[in-house]
Amino acid sequence: MLIQFVLVLAVLTIMYVFVRRSHAIYVQASKRIALVLFALVNVYAVMRPDDLTAIARLLGVGRGTDLVLYALVVAFMAGMFSMYQRFRVVDRRYTELARTVAIREAELINRERGLRAAQVVSVATGDGDRSPVVSEETVR
Amino acid sequence: MPGKNDPEETGVTTVDGRRNEDVWVVIPVFNEAPVLESVVRQVLAVFPNVVCVDDGSGDGSAEAVLRTGAHLVRHPVNLGQGAALQTGLTYARVQPGAQYFVTYDADGQHRLEDAAAMVDVARSGEADVVLGTRFAVHADSVPLIKRLVLRLAVLLSPAGRKLRLTDAHNGLRVLTRPVADQLQISMNGMAHASEIVSYLGRSKWRVREIPVSIRYTEYSRSKGQSLLNGVNILFDLSVRHRG
Repeated sequence: MLIQFVLVLAVLTIMYVFVRRSHAIYVQASKRIALVLFALVNVYAVMRPDDLTAIARLLGVGRGTDLVLYALVVAFMAGMFSMYQRFRVVDRRYTELARTVAIREAELINRERGLRAAQVVSVATGDGDRSPVVSEETVR
Repeated sequence: MPGKNDPEETGVTTVDGRRNEDVWVVIPVFNEAPVLESVVRQVLAVFPNVVCVDDGSGDGSAEAVLRTGAHLVRHPVNLGQGAALQTGLTYARVQPGAQYFVTYDADGQHRLEDAAAMVDVARSGEADVVLGTRFAVHADSVPLIKRLVLRLAVLLSPAGRKLRLTDAHNGLRVLTRPVADQLQISMNGMAHASEIVSYLGRSKWRVREIPVSIRYTEYSRSKGQSLLNGVNILFDLSVRHRG
C-alpha cells in the first residue's frame, strides 16, 4: 500500500533530520513551517472531511480519520525529538551555570584551606564550541 | 608495560612529590565516601596536585575530600561524570605550571603505578594523549560480558577503529596541556568517554594506549555502570544538540 511507503519514509526522514548536523536557523525555520502546515492541513481536514477520505482512499487507507491518526503519530515523533533537542540545549546552559558557580565557590574554599588556586575568569563557552577564557594569574 | 618502569623513575616511591608538580589529577566524585579519603591520600602521595569534583554527592564525599589536601570543586547539583571531568579540567588547566592532566576514578580501581607510567610516556613527548587499556595484557581480570561489550563499543566507533584503540571506556587518561586546553566535553553523562575518543579521532593528536590493570573489587563492581547504560550512551551520542 502507498500509505506504508509514505509513513516509513516520513519516519526515516525524521530520524535522519535529527541525527545529522545542520544549521540551527535552518532547523528552527523548518520546524516552524512544518508546524504551521500541519495546523492548516488539520483545519482543512475538519472543514472538508470528504476530501480527507478521498485522499485516504488514494493512499490505501480506509477512512480519513485513520489518515489523521497516522499523521498524528508521525507528528508526535517529530515533536518528541524536537523537545529532546531543546532539552539538551537547556541542559548545556544549566551545566555552564552550575560549573561557573562551582568553580567560583571552589576558589574561595580552597584558598581558605590554604591551597593555592588560580582564578578562572570565565568558564562560559556560549554554544560550547569555543574555549573558555581563563586567566593565567595566580591568586595567593 | 607497567612493570618495565623502575619505581624510582616513575616517582611512585619518592616521598616528596616534587617531580610531579606539573601534573594535575582530576577525580570526578559521586557518592564515593567509603573509599574516597584513602584513594585521595594515596594519589596525593605520588601526585601533589589533585582536584576532586564532587558531583552533588549526598554521602559526605565532599567532607572526605576536605580532610585531605586535595582541591575540592563542588557541583551545586548532580550533573554527571562527563560534566564533572570537564569542570575539573577547567579548574586544573589555569593552575600555574599545570602541564599534564590525569583523569582518575574515585573508586580506587586504578593503580598509581599505571598512572605514573602513563605520565612518563606523555612526558617523553611520544604522545599527546595517553589512554589506559584493560585489554593489552591483563584482559583476564575483566569480567567476560564486560569485556565483550567494551570491545564492541570500540569496534562500533569509527574514531576508535581509526586510532586502533582496544579500550575506549577506561577512566584512566593522561592529557597534555594543548589537548586539555582544547577539549570541551559536552556529554554530561557517561557518553563522555565515547565523546573523547571521537574527538581524538577527528583531531591531530598522537594517541597512545598503555596497558593498565583494573582492580575489580567488591566496591568498584557495585559502583560500576550497568551495561544497559550503553543504550543510553548510544542514544545520547546519535541525537546531538542541533538547534
